[in-house]
Amino acid sequence: MDFALTEEQEFFKKMITDAVDRMIVPKAPEIDRKDEFPWELWREFGKLGYLGLRYPEEIGGMNADPVTAMIFYEQVSRGSVGFAQSVIMNVLMGTYFIYRFGSEAMKERCLYPAMRGEKVATMCFTEDQSGSDLSATRTTAVKDGSDWVINGTKMWITNGPIADMATVLATTDRSLGAKGLNFFLVEKGTPGFAPGQVLEKMGCRGTVTGELVFDNVRVPGENLLGTEINKGVDYLGEILDEVRVMTGAMALGISQAAFDEGLEYARKRVAFGKPIGSYQLIRAKFADMASEMEASRLMVYYAAWRIKEKLSSRKEAAMAKMFATETCLKVVDEVTRIWGANGFAQEYNPQRHFRDARFLLYGGGTHEILKDFLGRLIIGKT
Amino acid sequence: MNVVVLAKQVPDAESSIEIKGDGERLEIQQKFATSLFDEFALEEALRIRERHGGRVKVITLGAGKATEVLRTGIAMGADETLLLDHAAFLDGDGYATALALSRAVSKAPCDVVLCGKQAVDDDRGEVGPMVAQFLGLPHVGGVVKLDIAEGKASAESLAEAGREVVEVSLPAVFTVQKGLNEPRVAPITGVMKAMKAQIPKAAPEDLGLDPAEVGRAGSKVQVKRYLAPKKRPPVQIIGGEANDAAREAVRILADVERLI
Amino acid sequence: MQPARQCGFSRTWKGSFRGWLVDTILVFVETKGDAAKKASLELLSEGRKLEQAGRFRMEAVVLGPLPAGLKDRLLSLTETLVHIDDPLLEAYTPEGYAFALAGYAGEAGPKMILAGATQMGRDFMPRVAVLLGCGIVSDVTAAAWEGDPVTFVRPVYGGKVLTEVSCNGFPVIVTTRPNAFGISEEGSRTGNLVERQAGVTADQVHTRIQRADAKPKGKVDLTEADIIVSGGRGLKAAENFRLIEELADAIGGTVGATRSVVDAGWRDQEDQVGKSGKTVSPKLYIAVGISGAIHHIMGMDTSKVVLAVNKDPNAIIFQYANYGIVGDLFEVVPAMTAELKKR
Repeated sequence: MDFALTEEQEFFKKMITDAVDRMIVPKAPEIDRKDEFPWELWREFGKLGYLGLRYPEEIGGMNADPVTAMIFYEQVSRGSVGFAQSVIMNVLMGTYFIYRFGSEAMKERCLYPAMRGEKVATMCFTEDQSGSDLSATRTTAVKDGSDWVINGTKMWITNGPIADMATVLATTDRSLGAKGLNFFLVEKGTPGFAPGQVLEKMGCRGTVTGELVFDNVRVPGENLLGTEINKGVDYLGEILDEVRVMTGAMALGISQAAFDEGLEYARKRVAFGKPIGSYQLIRAKFADMASEMEASRLMVYYAAWRIKEKLSSRKEAAMAKMFATETCLKVVDEVTRIWGANGFAQEYNPQRHFRDARFLLYGGGTHEILKDFLGRLIIGKT
Repeated sequence: MNVVVLAKQVPDAESSIEIKGDGERLEIQQKFATSLFDEFALEEALRIRERHGGRVKVITLGAGKATEVLRTGIAMGADETLLLDHAAFLDGDGYATALALSRAVSKAPCDVVLCGKQAVDDDRGEVGPMVAQFLGLPHVGGVVKLDIAEGKASAESLAEAGREVVEVSLPAVFTVQKGLNEPRVAPITGVMKAMKAQIPKAAPEDLGLDPAEVGRAGSKVQVKRYLAPKKRPPVQIIGGEANDAAREAVRILADVERLI
Repeated sequence: MQPARQCGFSRTWKGSFRGWLVDTILVFVETKGDAAKKASLELLSEGRKLEQAGRFRMEAVVLGPLPAGLKDRLLSLTETLVHIDDPLLEAYTPEGYAFALAGYAGEAGPKMILAGATQMGRDFMPRVAVLLGCGIVSDVTAAAWEGDPVTFVRPVYGGKVLTEVSCNGFPVIVTTRPNAFGISEEGSRTGNLVERQAGVTADQVHTRIQRADAKPKGKVDLTEADIIVSGGRGLKAAENFRLIEELADAIGGTVGATRSVVDAGWRDQEDQVGKSGKTVSPKLYIAVGISGAIHHIMGMDTSKVVLAVNKDPNAIIFQYANYGIVGDLFEVVPAMTAELKKR
């Protein structure tokens, strides 16, 4: 079994780590403090071209495989989750279906600019009454001639209020439940499409998250992203595993950021005449954190590898996401304990990692849902 | 304007370094980076090409992970690279290393040779001036500003007496230091190109050198032992209110340490 | 590009130090106006000790202009003062100085050539080594002159590790870090002056000084300073460096700064102490509002005595200090300045 990254992947990791350290890490505390979208950083980072990494070279991307993509997701999250969430939305979810099903004209208008960071993309699932339960989606799309008319409100949309393009999950027939779902492209400027309330969040501050309102939004027939109607859930399945593993990679990044802070503190903070890293209880914390992070890392990259190799990955992806998230929550907690009272101060980073980590519980699927799904898969039909 | 950059792979600033075997050898954590001052050299080379056209070539002498320096150069935008990783080249003193590098530089005509003022592992600062002397070229050391023109350049260094601007004819060697520029972050197109790049190598024979002339064999300076620097005794904290502590500090420095 | 004209002078004879023929060491004396640089004086002092031990005879070498006052001073410090002059040596150029010194060395056949590891020394001595085809040991902080071969100590990895090195072949070129050696020579010699022409031709020198902005007179360079008062981010704003300057004035020191302060634009690059700035070795280093990041430590850890002032008791700087004050620098520093003025 070869667990090593290829020389190319190692080099890629080195380059993105360097870019994150130089461009994002220094700005992270301010992004969190101000809770404003860092437009300047977005444009600077966009110019580097990383936002297109998942798409083919021919259209300006990098053709990055899922493993390489995970390296990217992990490093950017280590830098700033508030920035990473927006970046990652552009890299994958917000643009995937346009890439997959959009017309060339649509790609020119939306996909390529999004890859360059010139436009902001988003994907809208969640509503007030439906999160995990997609079949309860109430946003409707009604055929009118060759057009579609969309009505509904989406909530908790990353990049929503600043998005230039939205891939909207809407149902053509609520009675069909999950089997009536479709993706539609709605572009900014379309009458009836407007940002609603911006949500003030506990963590991942910097990313603009909020409501999107669709009030009789009319889009042409080609904006139905898909070759067949009502296949939304199937299409989602193409990236669902990657989205879950990606969340795991983000968890790894946050864990690493917090862990590094804890390590530095344990080495320099003196209590009773010695650095606190000399004491057994503190050492035990690091042993536990490091072990679980190691396990998370292996699970995340293994699941990514399975996706890359086109092996079944639904189980591994769900497990990786859950395990890495639970580890991350423990790591950010332990690090604030190691930091003592300083872990409580807004001036330092551990509290930011502590707050940021919570979103991992909802992004990519709640653990309650994932566990039920996994349990069912393992036990089989009863 | 053809520019050659001499860059070195060194242990990362955070790498742990331990003296082993009673001073015989060092055990260094295997994390690497481009030597700090060489990054400025690389960036400056790219800026010269942006202004004047031409090609940028990066040369490194080193084994193992040394290719990363060259790939980083390509990622940032360099056109060509050359790797001297043959065992005979390794572990040389400044003289032996500069000899090898100067031959590598002379393989193709160039107008400007750039390198960091010293490598941050060995801290010798010898290779730059030595390469210049081997090539029969002038050099300017510790450059913080560089203006290249046709056939000549104007280089500003931080001399101990203040700032100094020197005019020099090209071709010339410049050793650079912090303050010259802000190295760019490599764009993904560069990273992709670097990942796929084939790195050409040269052995001593390719440079017209006998293995005995370079590397450890060709060195005149040898490291006999490694020693740990003297540790300072634990700090004595001067307590009390600000004014009292200040007074006590002055007393100690004047009367006890006799420094003032 | 032609290979450099080499003097081809490289003795491999490992002569015995006990022969009746006493070997020569050349000490390059770097001048600054009408004074000799500190590191050069240190070497003249060391050279004198070696002469007294009967190991060597020393020749002090000056390139370029030699003011009368300095000439007399140097003649009191050495048996032989060699003054190599030439219109082309009027101002320092690496090529000119290297040719001139290597040319003389080719004639004098020294066992060692010593120079201060100043900016100038480290700039042109490597070229001398190539011209003579010999080895060079740069930035030495200690030497066991009595050894055979002579061994030197020089720091690597920013000072995290020291190496003991030796060099084979002759001559051996050595540059020594300012403040590495003491100056003990009283200046009671009566030396002979030897005048030489360098024989450097115009086609051998390709650099020309266009402009030199001298620092205000009286400012001792950080690398030579005996006392340094350095400020870091703890000062909060550029204007507050005034406190550092006042303390430096009162104590007779030079002002230094950390990298973050230089990057923030509060001070010039010339003031930076650290891995990517200057490495200093003063007798006293006062670190004010400096946390003690490793790249800064690398630049000042060879200071003899370090006093740190920081409000954070856990600041790493205290691990590299002899004395520490945990307190508000805005109170402590002015209080120190006031106390110094009183004395």
